[in-house]
Amino acid sequence: MGLRTMLDNLAPLFEKGGKYEKMYPLYEAVDTGLFSPPNVTNNTAHVRDGIDLKRIMITVWVCTFPAMLFGMYNIGLQANEAMAAGAGTVIEGWREFLIVLLGGGAHDAASFWDNFVFGAAYFLPVYATVFIVGGFWEVLFATIRRHEVNEGFFVTSVLFALTLPPSIPLWQVALGISFGVVIGKEVFGGTGKNFLNPALTGRAFLFFAYPANMSGNAVWTAADGFTGATALSNAAEGGVQAIIDAGVSWSDAFFGTIQGSMGETSTLAILLGGVVLLVMNIAAWRIVAGVFGGMVVFSLLLNMIGSDTNYMFALPWYWHLVVGGFAFGMIFMATDPVSASMTDTGKYAFGALIGFMVVMIRVVNPAFPEGMMLAILFANLFAPLIDHFVVQANIKRRIARVS
Amino acid sequence: MSANNDSIQKTLTVAILLCLVCSVIVAGAAVGLRGKQNENKANDKKIAVLQAADLYVEGQPVADQFTQISTRIVNLEAGRFATDAELQEIRDAGLTVENFDQKKSSKTPALSRALSSEEDEASIKRLEKYAAVFIVGGSDHIEKIILPVHGYGLWSTLYGFLALEGDMDTIVGLGFYSHAETPGLGGEVDNPKWKALWVGKKVFNDQGNVAISVVKGGAEAGNPYQVDGLSGATLTSRGVSNLVRFWVGGKGFGELLNKLKGQGA
Amino acid sequence: MSDLKKVLTEPLFSANPIAVQILGICSALAVTTSLNVTLVMCLALTSVTACSNFGIALIRNHIPNNIRIIVQMIIIASLVIVVDQILKAYAYEVSKQLSVFVGLIITNCIVMGRAEAFAMKNGPVLSFFDGIGNGLGYSVVLVSVATVRELFGSGKLFGFEILPLIQDGGWYQSNGLLLLPPSAFFIIGGFIWILRTVKTEQVEAPDFKILPNTEHSGGH
Repeated sequence: MGLRTMLDNLAPLFEKGGKYEKMYPLYEAVDTGLFSPPNVTNNTAHVRDGIDLKRIMITVWVCTFPAMLFGMYNIGLQANEAMAAGAGTVIEGWREFLIVLLGGGAHDAASFWDNFVFGAAYFLPVYATVFIVGGFWEVLFATIRRHEVNEGFFVTSVLFALTLPPSIPLWQVALGISFGVVIGKEVFGGTGKNFLNPALTGRAFLFFAYPANMSGNAVWTAADGFTGATALSNAAEGGVQAIIDAGVSWSDAFFGTIQGSMGETSTLAILLGGVVLLVMNIAAWRIVAGVFGGMVVFSLLLNMIGSDTNYMFALPWYWHLVVGGFAFGMIFMATDPVSASMTDTGKYAFGALIGFMVVMIRVVNPAFPEGMMLAILFANLFAPLIDHFVVQANIKRRIARVS
Repeated sequence: MSANNDSIQKTLTVAILLCLVCSVIVAGAAVGLRGKQNENKANDKKIAVLQAADLYVEGQPVADQFTQISTRIVNLEAGRFATDAELQEIRDAGLTVENFDQKKSSKTPALSRALSSEEDEASIKRLEKYAAVFIVGGSDHIEKIILPVHGYGLWSTLYGFLALEGDMDTIVGLGFYSHAETPGLGGEVDNPKWKALWVGKKVFNDQGNVAISVVKGGAEAGNPYQVDGLSGATLTSRGVSNLVRFWVGGKGFGELLNKLKGQGA
Repeated sequence: MSDLKKVLTEPLFSANPIAVQILGICSALAVTTSLNVTLVMCLALTSVTACSNFGIALIRNHIPNNIRIIVQMIIIASLVIVVDQILKAYAYEVSKQLSVFVGLIITNCIVMGRAEAFAMKNGPVLSFFDGIGNGLGYSVVLVSVATVRELFGSGKLFGFEILPLIQDGGWYQSNGLLLLPPSAFFIIGGFIWILRTVKTEQVEAPDFKILPNTEHSGGH
């Protein structure tokens, strides 16, 4: 217990009246990060199992690893393939310097190492930026507002980083996470009081502020001068046939060897993490079921209606599942417990609303090929209302039972 | 406040007096400023025309600058300048010839027709019978011709002018005076750099077919018929491409341009 | 004289119509993409508020109580039409960009609010300056919103280039969100945030207090 005693000895310095009173949140973060928290519930308890917020958040964070690791490999794969095909050239700069240093300078798309190093050189700086800048805001607010530094930030930071395109400039990353943390969360009082998913709030900010860096055909592969339509914009141009003509089969999209946001391409890797979350009951299976069901039902409906001019109407649900950010949003974003509905029935409705909206935006809106981010943010706004109606219905039912 | 304020007599008196005073003020302002306002409105369009033709000089009276330009009404279907009888038709429909309001005419059933969706390349729903074009130089020797164009982009209908050289082929300029495209993406149609890309491009190829288009991803260097698309604004670029092609095509000013070309301007 | 100073300065920060009373937000979103347009709008609103306050205060002892709102509306509406006509005649470019929002001054809560709350109870001169003061309060917020939006949204101030844009060969990448109306919400929110951090008396009491749910047990 050497570490424990050391922390305990340090405690008086950070508690009220101590020398570093202002730094208490930092001390608290380290302490509860290493040991289980000392606080116990003393009235009207809601806690039903032994797991606390910190463990939950760390688990979610670990569950993004498959998508993250595959994402890094895929960033390299896409870029190296594009360069091998002569569709783009190496972006010179410090990243390329790092890649060469670590032995990935050959840019051989067949080499796992070349691809992985390439992807790491693009993803890790973005993630580090998110972590440092977001962490700065988190600690700053924790210090001023006297609340604990929250591990929710671990999750927010990794989710935010994974939804960005590989070519995003780092200063935009910093700006985006600042907006997400400050406007998406801290102005409402910190973790647990926000009504929007902070990671998506930050992403939405970048999407509207710097659309040229967040959408279009040039940003999804980290090779200079490369342009190529994403699976979704191909689908909008010519339906499934256009995706396949572009050399992307369904299994490619499922395994994730397509271009896209850094961690969103592989449905398989995402589902791998998702299974763990669902089995451990951390992600609400009702929300996931709602999103999936809503998407399937509405896309089947649109398949039946059909359209002569809009190819997206005919896109089948199993394609909707594997392209764009659908799977990632369904598993990691929609299930954010703070901004989703709380009631069981509400979770189905909340999920279904997302599933419906994402298909709606993808199919009908001409300007946004992808709709997952906007659909989830939209449903976030409705989550409290959905809960309200579920609770009211419940109350009504029980009153009827009494009288 | 005295108690008798709420009597019917007082209420009516106050109401009537107030209305009288206010209406005099409002009417005075409206009538007194009308001349100046109309002048502004007319100038506004003239400036857009002058800018498209690259003739606008800032600071000089617009009316003076516009004297070099003459306005002609065109019968789009027949592809020629309108006859007196046709001008009378416009007057009969309640529009003026001198200040021809093309937007209004496209909503007047007598002066326009609905387009079927195959014909409607520029997504304008209704095509007017007459259009007002602006000509620099005499009718025997046309230096420049400025054509009104409009069509649907991503969010809105873009209204603008396309100016051609006397050879009825080389573009002098393209400019939009009204649109509501996304700022920073489609809104870049107003960017002078992008507008400069149009200058000197050719509308028709050697066979006389419409060849000009906006190309996604980047035009081939030296190709006189291609203009770079706006990055990140695929649909606005496509809209602009469509509307330009529509208006210089057979249903637009194509016939007229052909005839004028034949006259050897 | 202290009254006069109070009606002029109070609406600037302590009783700002937008930041404290949250009135007149609508036009603050719509007309703040460039400073030129914003200044004209502020000028229009300030003059309408001042003149309508003056006019209403002048006849306040004769306004029948049962039609007083209509009377106020007529005076305000007439003034707005006059302002609109003047703009169309002498500032055509700006009036085109302001379009419907000049007309909407009629329904701007600040104008009606000051007429009903102040001009009906005070003399014409004081009311006139109250109108000026509130117009200035509105202007403070609008000008700061417009400064941020124009500077970071299009890299310009009053149309003059401050931050050269990448599109024009410079280094600054403009923030497209600031050109969209909703961004004004964030900026007004930030303005209120700063204002309330400085003037803590404006912070509203919380609606309810959450009971502490945990206590520190001390041991591990």
